[in-house]
Amino acid sequence: MTAQRDQIDLRSVRFRKEREPGWKKLQALVERAERTGLHGLSFEEAQDLTATYRQTVNSLSVAREISLDQALLSYLDNLTSRAYLVIYAPQATLSGLLVKLFTKGIPQAVRRSAPALLIGFGLMLFGALLGYALVQQDSSWFYTFVPGELAGDRGPGASRAALEGTLFGEEATPQNALASFAAYLFSHNTQVAILVFSLGVFWCIPTALLTFYNGTLLGAFVAVFVEKGLGYEVFGWLSIHGVTEIAAICVAAAGGAQLGLATLLPGRMTRKDALRVRGRDATKLFILAGLMLIAAAILEGFFRQLVQSTELRLAIGWGIGALWVIWLTVAGREGR
Amino acid sequence: MAKRKKTPVQYAAALEAREAKQILRITPPEGVPLRFERASLMARFGAQFLDLLFTYGMLFLIVLVVFWSGAMFWDTAMAFFAVTAFLLRIPYYILTELVWNGQTLGKRIAKLRVIAQNGRRLEPHQVVVRNLMKEAEVFTPIGLIFSFEAANGWVRAVMALWLLVVILVPIFSKQSQRLGDMIAGTVVINNPRIQVAFELTEASKAVGDRFAFEPDQLEHYGRFELQSLEQILRENSQGKDAFDRDVKVAAAIRKKIGYTGPVQAAESRAFLAAFYAEQRAHLESRQMFGDRRENKYHRSESDN
Repeated sequence: MTAQRDQIDLRSVRFRKEREPGWKKLQALVERAERTGLHGLSFEEAQDLTATYRQTVNSLSVAREISLDQALLSYLDNLTSRAYLVIYAPQATLSGLLVKLFTKGIPQAVRRSAPALLIGFGLMLFGALLGYALVQQDSSWFYTFVPGELAGDRGPGASRAALEGTLFGEEATPQNALASFAAYLFSHNTQVAILVFSLGVFWCIPTALLTFYNGTLLGAFVAVFVEKGLGYEVFGWLSIHGVTEIAAICVAAAGGAQLGLATLLPGRMTRKDALRVRGRDATKLFILAGLMLIAAAILEGFFRQLVQSTELRLAIGWGIGALWVIWLTVAGREGR
Repeated sequence: MAKRKKTPVQYAAALEAREAKQILRITPPEGVPLRFERASLMARFGAQFLDLLFTYGMLFLIVLVVFWSGAMFWDTAMAFFAVTAFLLRIPYYILTELVWNGQTLGKRIAKLRVIAQNGRRLEPHQVVVRNLMKEAEVFTPIGLIFSFEAANGWVRAVMALWLLVVILVPIFSKQSQRLGDMIAGTVVINNPRIQVAFELTEASKAVGDRFAFEPDQLEHYGRFELQSLEQILRENSQGKDAFDRDVKVAAAIRKKIGYTGPVQAAESRAFLAAFYAEQRAHLESRQMFGDRRENKYHRSESDN
């Protein structure tokens, strides 16, 4: 009893012969779309792409049932996967994304993150109060908190005149302003913000410590000036960019706290899922912090040295602070 | 007997475990699960290394050009470098992955791609998150390595711990994700390669009626053996090594199925092709009737 060679007519082979033209068409379309992007296709071609994609998905499903040809199966698998990646590629344009982020994404994320923001601002405030109180009692605490390169000539030993000089210096020229802008932007505070945010994953601990420490730095600084009777002036000097800048660090800390809360208190979710859910708002908080830092750098680089009156400094600093608050509380509210 | 029965089960379990580690199944809205190969950690490391090379190489070139042309004042040049260095860090990764749908330059060369774990499209938010975490997972650790010498006692311990965590998380992660991937819900895969394969049974038609098989000779093997044979047939058939292999495989098959007809050494490949076509026809028709045979142990399984 011998099987007749000519009678071997595999169902899977017939299936392949029938469907193969469609697969080839999809392959050509996918390869073109990958090169030129989806907008490189004409309307008919885009229609063909989705139609042949669905047919090929169907072919894959059938082939998995009826064919044992490994090469064919992996060809279909890879072809469908590639087409899937082309068809389900992000469709939004960069400008569209940015508009959405500013009008809705960031303000809504901020309003959802009240507890985390409380942690961020609370730690900073608590640190500042502690630093202030300690340095007022004993000025040698200052050197415990403030590293040498940050203090400059603004330590407790400095004279009132020297301190006043640092508040109302006139070394600003446009050329200098840009340099100090950049140097400032990418130095201390940016690093603090990045660290405070990304280290939040480690159960909030590094974030809390860093934020608190930065608070003590601030408090210690202020205490030195207050001791010499320059409290009002230093408040103005800090306000012009500090309102934005210190808030930026607090916002970054709040983002870190969101991540930390996900690892500390995941609730009924797994830690991974909790990170994913809270990560959405955390990222937006971080982007906000980045924007605020850039704004603060512009204020610091160009305005602080140009604006010499304390009243004007206060007005600009807190005015811009009010603008942030208005944007974040008003924008992106959806009518019910 | 008991020992023989255990083997196929263990064997199947081992295969399954290996597949679970290597293959990611994603169900797109069309409802047919797709298989993606997870990228190996070495490939990802290579892609990251290339990206670092490109970004810092670019920065270096810019520095050279600016100094050479002397177009800027010192202060302005410094400010310009600071801004460029900033842009070439995280924004580079975010923008390239947004524009090229989950591929940076390095990933394009290493043929890797970022996809969303849940089978939906990759969202901008996910790209931003996974690359922001690069600061904690790539840039800071690199900085740590360079400042390791300068640090003292417990700072060193913290640095070493940090490096350890950053390195160990992707190694022990079930989905080989780094922390940024976990938070963003993304996975890095090998970009699928489309390879066209010809129909093997077409080739066996040329053999004609030279070899004939009894139905019970086709009852021995299952899917796994058939596809291993397919692999051999698709491989290169030239050269002495290939020839010896064909002779050996043909002899093994003849012994197993009890094929008694004459097969010359030179005909081994033709024999294999003919057997492949017959065996595939048989297994596919059994499968049509709901009798899936995974491997050659299918008989001992159905005994239970």
